[in-house]
Amino acid sequence: MAFGAYPPPEHLLGDLGMEAELTTAETAWVRTRATPFVAAADGGVRIGVLATLVDIVGGAIGARVLQPDWMATADLTVQRTGPVLGPQVEARGSVLRRGRTTLVIEALVVAVDEDGHTVEVDGRPADPVAWASMTFAVLPARDPAPMVHMPAGLPSQWAFAGGGFRSPVHDEVGIEVVGAAAGHVSLEVRPYLHNSFGAVQGGVIGMLAEAAGAEALGAARGGDGSDVVVTDLQIAYLALGRIGPVVTSARVLEPGADGRCSAVVELRDSGADDRLMTVANVVAVPTVDVVGVAP
Amino acid sequence: MTSAGQGGDDMVDGVDRRRHVSDYFRLERREVPSSAEQPSVVLGRAPVDDHARGPGGGLRTGGLLTNLDTLGGFTSGLAVLPRWIVTTSLLATVSELRHVGPLGYRADVVRRGRSSVVTVIDVVDEGAGGHPVAAATMTCAVLDPGAMALEFERPVVVPMPPPQVDPVGPEAFFSIEPGEGPVTRLVLVDRLRNPWGILHGGAVAMLADEAACRAVASVPGASGPGGVAAADAVLHYLRPVRVGPVEARCTVLGTVAGRTVVRVAIHDIGSDDRMTNLGTMTVVAV
Repeated sequence: MAFGAYPPPEHLLGDLGMEAELTTAETAWVRTRATPFVAAADGGVRIGVLATLVDIVGGAIGARVLQPDWMATADLTVQRTGPVLGPQVEARGSVLRRGRTTLVIEALVVAVDEDGHTVEVDGRPADPVAWASMTFAVLPARDPAPMVHMPAGLPSQWAFAGGGFRSPVHDEVGIEVVGAAAGHVSLEVRPYLHNSFGAVQGGVIGMLAEAAGAEALGAARGGDGSDVVVTDLQIAYLALGRIGPVVTSARVLEPGADGRCSAVVELRDSGADDRLMTVANVVAVPTVDVVGVAP
Repeated sequence: MTSAGQGGDDMVDGVDRRRHVSDYFRLERREVPSSAEQPSVVLGRAPVDDHARGPGGGLRTGGLLTNLDTLGGFTSGLAVLPRWIVTTSLLATVSELRHVGPLGYRADVVRRGRSSVVTVIDVVDEGAGGHPVAAATMTCAVLDPGAMALEFERPVVVPMPPPQVDPVGPEAFFSIEPGEGPVTRLVLVDRLRNPWGILHGGAVAMLADEAACRAVASVPGASGPGGVAAADAVLHYLRPVRVGPVEARCTVLGTVAGRTVVRVAIHDIGSDDRMTNLGTMTVVAV
């Protein structure tokens, strides 16, 4: 499967080392390695990285199902359902509904070993570590020639090759915390982070929402972003972020007595008249409640 | 007791249950016009009646989602008149399960496109000094209303429906059959249909709430002293429910820090058992 010149040689997807396979006409998997550079405070893979993974698996399925049409992510949800440990994590996506204007995809994220086999616990396949869903808006093709070169046969595998990370993914991406309590983080837009439209990739939006929500919720608990682990993202994509910097703000919904806490994060393109790009509901739990929890 | 039939007599112990879904939770709606270019804001207000309280102590999340669906859909529809909308997804995080009431709702359209509308809705507990209760995002597809009459006196005001004299609980009102375990069934009676003749989105949400809670309650050790209660929700409305009965099939996916995520797949058995809704409910012990 080839997306023309996307992604470029120096790109986040390459550094994440994603491998993928279209397994049937309506299913696919995408996997990445669970390294310390993509880990949250509990040692599990960051939910923003999971958002990137499921966005890619959804996009791969959509590109095949919809051709010659194209698509834009309208909403994306991810929920951690267990410790997101590796050695690799794999998002397995399938089509729920293909309509005239929308495509809805579900994905389960599972831990897989070095050979790509599902990790076993007590002699049986381990439970999924996350659940995800995506709605794509269908963009009718202007040109009947497909944007993506599809393989003739299935299954079909491909990979995004890159040099890997040398520091935590939020540093590699360039997320800068400006004001923790208000969930103010900032991100320069550059080709390394682009999607196929030349705007900030949907998974990166998830990373920003995760960072902004964690900083605000950590501060609300009297600490910082490492004091909470984001478990749920509910993202509505409203407009593309093309210019930047992309800036965020967060509104904390007061933490419950049981430690549950959530925030509403807004992302704006400050270079485009502060246009509202995204609204995300972010749910987190105290890090102390999830550290060291075995699968 | 007279049972509620498929669109038949809805009298139970002398109580008329033929109230529309949006009236059951007594949601008041008030349009606040914006400038000519901007869609209206719509404010809502609803009490937390005792019969609608859940194990969490406040309005059951299924009821909260019903009000979110009603207010969000109404707000989105007003924004695209003379066309109208159908809900495609509802994403909600519920931060507080205990409510004094009444609850105040505010719906703002954040994107109005040719084919879809996105509305955000905030909920606060007016009886608890405006304490945040929930935040939601609703996406709707824009459609041609056909012969449906959509005439409103603007700004629109829908007064709060009066209290019910002898109210039935949500399970009875929404015709959810008694049961336990991972599968829960709803009988599609006429009062649960929306003006398009399909199952109201709020009824879908209430079914998802009840089904997810039953699924978790059946897991040994999962319940607290007060049982379990649904909190956050992801609901995708894939296809309309037209025939019924309606079955919610649940899979407990896992638990993180006391929050159990349940996958809920809803099927219209009378329509070749097709899947009509898919999503998750997060359930907590209370």
